[in-house]
Amino acid sequence: MTQHTAEVGAVAPASAPWSIRMRDVSVRYPNGVVALKSISMDIEPGEMVSVVGLSGSGKSSLIRTINGLVPITSGQLTVGGHSLAEAKGRELRRLRGEVGMIFQGFNLAGRTSVLNNVLVGRLAHTPTWRTLLGLHTAADKQIAFDALERVGILAKAWDRASSLSGGQQQRVAIARALSQEPHLVLADEPVASLDPPTAHAVMRDLRRINTELGITVLTNLHLVDLAREYGTRLIGLRAGEVVYDGSVDDATDAVFEEIYGRSIRAEDVLDR
Amino acid sequence: MSAVAPPRPSRTRTRLVASVVCVVVVVAFWSVDINWARLGNLPSEIVRYLWLMFSAPDWSKLGEALYQTWRSVEMAWVGTVFGIIIATPLSFLAAKGFGPPPVQAALRGVFAVIRAVPEIIIAIIILSVTGLTPLTGALALAVGGIGTLGKWGFESIDGVPRGPIEAVRAAGGSTSQVLRWGVWPSASPEFLSFWLYRFEINVRASAVLGLIGVGGIGDMLTSYTQYRQWGVVGMLLIVVVIVTIALDAISGAIRRRITEGAPVHDLER
Repeated sequence: MTQHTAEVGAVAPASAPWSIRMRDVSVRYPNGVVALKSISMDIEPGEMVSVVGLSGSGKSSLIRTINGLVPITSGQLTVGGHSLAEAKGRELRRLRGEVGMIFQGFNLAGRTSVLNNVLVGRLAHTPTWRTLLGLHTAADKQIAFDALERVGILAKAWDRASSLSGGQQQRVAIARALSQEPHLVLADEPVASLDPPTAHAVMRDLRRINTELGITVLTNLHLVDLAREYGTRLIGLRAGEVVYDGSVDDATDAVFEEIYGRSIRAEDVLDR
Repeated sequence: MSAVAPPRPSRTRTRLVASVVCVVVVVAFWSVDINWARLGNLPSEIVRYLWLMFSAPDWSKLGEALYQTWRSVEMAWVGTVFGIIIATPLSFLAAKGFGPPPVQAALRGVFAVIRAVPEIIIAIIILSVTGLTPLTGALALAVGGIGTLGKWGFESIDGVPRGPIEAVRAAGGSTSQVLRWGVWPSASPEFLSFWLYRFEINVRASAVLGLIGVGGIGDMLTSYTQYRQWGVVGMLLIVVVIVTIALDAISGAIRRRITEGAPVHDLER
C-alpha cells in the first residue's frame, strides 16, 4: 500500500481503497487463445467501473487477472501498489485476501451454512489450523454477522446456503466478499442469473459498497442499462482490447454499438 | 416419397466378437474336467447338508459365537478406521488439481492395483509379519480399503462443483483451505456414505478372513466345519446372516439419510 492518493469523500472506510494500474497486459491461455491484447488502463481508488462487452470479449479474463486467478502473460499489473506478476504463493494469497470477488453463479458451498460461507472471506486473515478445524474467532464471526447485516440477510445466518433464493445467495456472496474487509471488489456478471427486480437490488448493494464504504468496485456486465445506471465509468472490451474508456454519461447507444460491434438489441437491456 | 435407407454400418466386428465368445465357452466346458455323474447328486447333497446344519442348530455355543462375531466386527471397524485415515489424504492428492500430476497418476495406479488383490491375499502377505492375530485381519481390510476408498474419494472430489473452489481461491485460500471449505462441504456426505459402505463390506470380508485363522466368526466357522459339527455350523451361519443383515440395514439407513440430505437447520460440516 504505497501509492494511495487521498480519496473520495465517502463514509470513513475500514480500509483505504485500492487502485489498479495496467500496462500492456496480455493474457494468452495454454490452449493458445489470446484473451487480452496489450491492455493499459488506470483505475483510481474508490471508482465504480462497469466493464462491458459481449461474451468472449475478455471481460471475465480481465477481472480474473486483477486477483491473479488468471496469470498475465506479459505486461505490468499493479493492484493497490503491489505488483501481481511477481506475487506467488503466500504473497499472492495475501493479496487475494484483500480483494473481494463476486461471481455470476454465486459460488457458495450449498451444503453448509450461510455463516460458514461468509467466513470463507476470513480465511486469508486467519491462521490455517484454525480455519481447517473450523474454530473461527469471535471477532471473525462478528465481522461475518456485520457483513450479513449490511446486505440485509442476517436472519439467514444459520440456514443452509442452498435453501436460499438466487438473490439471497448473491447477497451471501457479497457478504463473503465484504467480510474480507476488501480494498477492492471485483464482480463478474453478478446479476446475469437473477430476475430484473433482484438484479437491481443486488446492483444497489454493490453501489452502496462503493458509496458508503468507499471501496473500489469493478463490475462486469453485458446489459447496457445496468452499466449506465450503476457505474460512473465505463470500459468497453471487444476481442480482448479496450475499445472505449470514459464516463458513462458520454456512453451513447452509438458507443455501445461500437463496443458490441453490432446494433443494440432487446437482449442487451434488462428493463425492456 | 420413398425414403432411401442409409447404408447399414458394417457388422463384421460384432459377428467376429460373437463367434470368438462362442468358441471360448465351448472350449472352456470341454477342457474343464467336469464329473457329470457327481453333478447329478448335487441337489440331494445340498439338501442333506442343509438338513444336517439347520434341522437342529446347536445353540450351546451361542455365547462363543456372539463373542467371535464381536471380534469380527471389531476387526472390520478398526480396518475401516485405519483405511479412512490413510485413504482420505491420499484421495485428495489423487484428485484433479490438488496434487502434482505424477503423484496423482501414481496414486491412481496404486489404488487400482490394491483393488485387484482380494483382502484374503493381502492378509496372507501381512500374516508373515504380524502373525495369526485379528490385527492382521484389520490391517488387510485397511489396505483393501485404501484401494476402494481412495478411488471413490478422488472421483467424488473430481465431481465437486468448481464454483465454491474458485471462490475460496479468490478469497486468498491455500490448497488445504480450498479442500476444507471449497471441497469438503460438497463432498462430505459422499465421503461419509463411502465410509459406512466400506464398513459394511469389511464386516462381510472379516468373516471370510477367518478362513486363514486370524480369528473372529470365520475362524470358528472353519473349525467347526472341519470338526463336522453341523449343528454348530448351522447356528453360526444363522448368527452371521442376522448380524450382517442387521448392520447392513442400520448402515444403509444412515447412508440414505446422509445422501438425501438433512432438514434445513440440521447441518453436517
